[in-house]
Amino acid sequence: MKLLFLAFAAFIGLVIAYGTPIGGEKPKTGHFYGSPEPILPMTFAHLDHVTESCIECHHNYVDDTGNDRCMYCHVRDAEIWPLLETQFHDLCQGCHTKKAALAEQGGPPRRCIACHLGDNLP
Amino acid sequence: MKVLNAILGVVFLVTFVSRPLLGAGWYWDLGNGIGFAAFGGLLYLTISSGRHLDVQLHQVLAYAVLFLTLAHVSWFLLGDAAAVEYVKFGAPDHMWIGIASLLLLFVLVTSALMPDRLRLHKDYSIFKYWHRVIAIATIFSATYHIVVSNFYVNSKLQILLFAAIAVAASFGQAVWRRSDKLRLPSLTMFLSSCFVAILVFAVVRNLPL
Repeated sequence: MKLLFLAFAAFIGLVIAYGTPIGGEKPKTGHFYGSPEPILPMTFAHLDHVTESCIECHHNYVDDTGNDRCMYCHVRDAEIWPLLETQFHDLCQGCHTKKAALAEQGGPPRRCIACHLGDNLP
Repeated sequence: MKVLNAILGVVFLVTFVSRPLLGAGWYWDLGNGIGFAAFGGLLYLTISSGRHLDVQLHQVLAYAVLFLTLAHVSWFLLGDAAAVEYVKFGAPDHMWIGIASLLLLFVLVTSALMPDRLRLHKDYSIFKYWHRVIAIATIFSATYHIVVSNFYVNSKLQILLFAAIAVAASFGQAVWRRSDKLRLPSLTMFLSSCFVAILVFAVVRNLPL
């Protein structure tokens, strides 16, 4: 039983070190948008979100807290940067989850790789 | 067997209190169902340990819970290439506490096996004390991992119910000990109950009902 457990643990270690053979393309972390630490790439296309009101995401249109791209503050501002993952998961995943709960067409609510492969979409 | 089914039923039912039809897709719901089954199994083994414990069967079922937990982890690591970020530095605290829970479970199971147990604790009462302390730490770290992961458990009522389940399983020994007739199910029966619970969990959340 112990050997079986060690084999299982070794298998998990190999998957962590070398990636999964069946889970799709492994996203490459990097210093995207000038992030101080490596982060996962993100998939986002405005075209997929045209049914949403702009201010759902662009809070700066109403609260005047920034005037450049989202990542300009969310990645480069030393105070906001540590909240990047929580804030964007709450925003993107929160909206996708609400839509899924209402049985509406929406983005992926949970699957990591569905949002964390980079794209070059506007 | 009734007690096992009742515990699995309670754990899975609490996940349905809020947004019962919300699914994350078959793959994610099955993977998380395995995790909930492992949690239910851990609670069951904690409350079923009493005076007339079938030690051999308890150990076999404990290994089953450990392997269910490992299956829960490897399920996501295998099926989602980005999930590996959740076991690296920088991962959210609830994921690290989930990993801590797995390690505690590993220590809980392996340190109780003879002859290793005798090497660690010559005195049975000391072993029993630490076995219980580690079991409670495992339950509470797993509970934190579940409630803070915030997908199936996203209301205050669910958090309270999960906390109540964890407290009842950890500190309700005086009540559970009265159930002298509590007999552990065979490994096959245990896994069958878990399998049914996992399947129902995923089907309800993914079939258009």
